[in-house]
Amino acid sequence: MNITPEALFEARRHFLKLGAGAVVSSTAISQLLADTPIDMSLSYTPDPNPLKLSPNTFEQITNYVNFYEFSTDKTAPVKLSQKMKTDPWSVSTSGELKTKQTLGVDELIAKFGLEERIYRFRCVEGWSMVVPWIGFPLYKLLDYLEPNGKAKYVKFTTKQDPTLFPDQAKGIFSSITYPYVEGLRMDEARHPLTFVAVGMYGKRLLPQNGAPIRLVVPWKYGFKSIKSLDKIECVETEPLNTWQAQNPKEYGFYANVNPSVDHPRWTQAKERLLGKLTKQETLPFNGYEKEVASLYAGMDLRKFI
Amino acid sequence: MKALFVLLALLPLGVAYYTLDNAIDPIKMLYTYTGVGAITLLLLSLVPSTCKRLCHLNFLRYRKTMGLLSFAYVLLHVSVFIVLDSEFDFITIFEKSLKKPFIYIGAIAFIILLLMTLTSFKKLFSKFSKYHKAVYVALALALLHSFWAQKVAGVFEYSVVTVGVALLGERIWAWKGLHVKN
Repeated sequence: MNITPEALFEARRHFLKLGAGAVVSSTAISQLLADTPIDMSLSYTPDPNPLKLSPNTFEQITNYVNFYEFSTDKTAPVKLSQKMKTDPWSVSTSGELKTKQTLGVDELIAKFGLEERIYRFRCVEGWSMVVPWIGFPLYKLLDYLEPNGKAKYVKFTTKQDPTLFPDQAKGIFSSITYPYVEGLRMDEARHPLTFVAVGMYGKRLLPQNGAPIRLVVPWKYGFKSIKSLDKIECVETEPLNTWQAQNPKEYGFYANVNPSVDHPRWTQAKERLLGKLTKQETLPFNGYEKEVASLYAGMDLRKFI
Repeated sequence: MKALFVLLALLPLGVAYYTLDNAIDPIKMLYTYTGVGAITLLLLSLVPSTCKRLCHLNFLRYRKTMGLLSFAYVLLHVSVFIVLDSEFDFITIFEKSLKKPFIYIGAIAFIILLLMTLTSFKKLFSKFSKYHKAVYVALALALLHSFWAQKVAGVFEYSVVTVGVALLGERIWAWKGLHVKN
């Protein structure tokens, strides 16, 4: 295997260009240096992929999204988000914890390191995909923050900034209420599968996928995996998440993927894997039953949707 | 002219066929193309009579074509449901899917349009044309169905409802005017 990684390949090309430029003139070099793209690549520990999942293509994952802050359409956010400024970006932490602070994305990467997680992703609407996320497990951040005894839940909030998100600027005509809020029970938040992603396919997240930092909870419907994180709070009471507030008959706090509990409007037994014209069975807890089912022992999963 | 209209109305199907290979969510794409096509043509079929009253242009001869084309889209939409989405699993269709308001509302609209199509040819039309007012029920149900298909309604859903209400409003207005005069 003698394949040069894409980042190195690009770097080498760029270096060659610089060399050629040096022959021409020094102004040409400074011009080229100014045009150097920001390094979007990340270094990380690859996922050994024991489940042998085959990820959807980068093109599919980056062109089919739900990001209501831009549009309710699946592809419109791709264009609408390209100018979104995601650097510098920091996440504030507060509530029932020892160290309240504001942490930059690069600071978080430096502190916790990066690893790859190839996860199934199942949207409540009935489609699914497989994504090679890059990031760190949330428990590492929680360990660092040291929540106190009162911290029973973790509340997440997406950035509220109408200059970044056009739908937030529409006031009463916006599609849903902002800012977008999600929550997890502390034991769910600390579960080793619960992940904070900053990248995908070896690169930093593109804006339409929730750049620069987002949550990924693979056994829950996609709307729990909140995008473009602004605030993480440790709280005592169950947070009212956006979709539950929007329509409590259809969406709950837990939103665990469950093929035997239908959405009131459609069945959840099967799913459309992106790029496929045939359907596949939806798995209990999206295929992570072995790892997470014990979190819900004794709970009626028809009631706690 | 009519042939050109038919060709134009079927163009989206050609587009759908050619983009199917690269579609990210192909089943959803087919649902959207056929659903939007059906509702747009159904609304369009209500325009000629409004047009005749308001701007004295007679397009009534297109009305049947529009209605039949709309039904062609509806038929494809239902086929997507049965063939691709349900994969001929009739047990699930009858025991689960059809119990959901979102699905049975759509199914009722389908049956109304099916009956209208079957009675739209010469002999039967003279007998059944008075029942073709049921198109308003079908349209209302189809609009409700399209609203329920989304997590939250978007621009298309609100636009078609606006157009639908405007067309219906004009009819009520015209009908009232007729009755006041008599």
